[in-house]
Amino acid sequence: MSNVILLILQIIGYIFISIGTFFLLLASIGLLRMPDVYNRMQTATKATTLGALSVLVGIGLIDLGWLPKSLIIAAFIVLTAPIGASALARASYKHGVKLWEGSVVDKYKEEKEED
Amino acid sequence: MKRVLAIIIAILLFVVFAMAFAKIPFGEQMSKYPHYYNPIENQTSNMSLPQHYLTYGKKDTGATNMVTAVVVDYRGFDTLGEVTVLFLASTGVGSLMYVENKAKKKVKRSNAVVETGSKLLFGFIILFGAYIFIHGHLTPGGGFPGGAIIASSFLLLYLAYPKFHAEHKRLNVSESLAGLTFVIVGLLGLAIAGYFLYNFLPFGLPTYLFSAGVIPVIYVAIGVKVGSELTGIVDAMMGVRE
Repeated sequence: MSNVILLILQIIGYIFISIGTFFLLLASIGLLRMPDVYNRMQTATKATTLGALSVLVGIGLIDLGWLPKSLIIAAFIVLTAPIGASALARASYKHGVKLWEGSVVDKYKEEKEED
Repeated sequence: MKRVLAIIIAILLFVVFAMAFAKIPFGEQMSKYPHYYNPIENQTSNMSLPQHYLTYGKKDTGATNMVTAVVVDYRGFDTLGEVTVLFLASTGVGSLMYVENKAKKKVKRSNAVVETGSKLLFGFIILFGAYIFIHGHLTPGGGFPGGAIIASSFLLLYLAYPKFHAEHKRLNVSESLAGLTFVIVGLLGLAIAGYFLYNFLPFGLPTYLFSAGVIPVIYVAIGVKVGSELTGIVDAMMGVRE
């Protein structure tokens, strides 16, 4: 009985890993396809965070001994990746990196001009 | 022309090194290494030196991490030298960066996300660094990576908070005490068994936390020392800010 459960968990783990690698691939494609820094940052951060998370959970499910460690690493990635991305985006805006010419609103700039 | 010449020289060097490296045996052919001369038993051993480390390392030192066994036990002087180099680097940076009346640099505040995040992560990173250097004899890592991780957590605070400042006197005290612990452990070995850095504590059960004799003690000392040294270097390079 427990063997069946382990097998099912392994299959779920492989599914998780496939989802994760798929999203990592999408992130790298998005990095090439997107027009400006902010769009690229958005694709890369969201998709790689989810992808890495999914791969780590999948590894933990395939070999249950790894589950605590992989969950800790996943928690670290979830905490740090968005913070790093926000700092990078803010720094590039302050450094004067232009938005894509197709973008419509720039509320941050408007707010600054009002001040 | 200069670039072409440089590329040609680089290729020639690569070929020479590749030819030399091709003669070094890999993996299973470890017995091809020359057998080493054992000065204590005054005879040539029946196995090569790497083979000896892998076969007898656990029995000789009690550590399950063979890199630690070699670095702290078999070749303890090498680690002592590395620690000295780091100490000299930190002193050198401190003396080069020392100015009597430092001009205060204006630094802008970082955003709230970075501030909160680094405040949250600081403790976790310290914990992880301590884990790395306490378990140096069991898992990969050891004093140097653990110390670098602890210093990186302080670097995070330096980058997030413009006014953050680690007190230099305390850093110096912890650094010196840790270095002193290393040397005193070595001298105790000299007093008890006649060798500097002799492993005089009981080995305990292998793969348990309290095993491997003096190796964990030395690695905790190295971790604290490297952590406070690198933090001191960061502090000296950041200068006085406002």
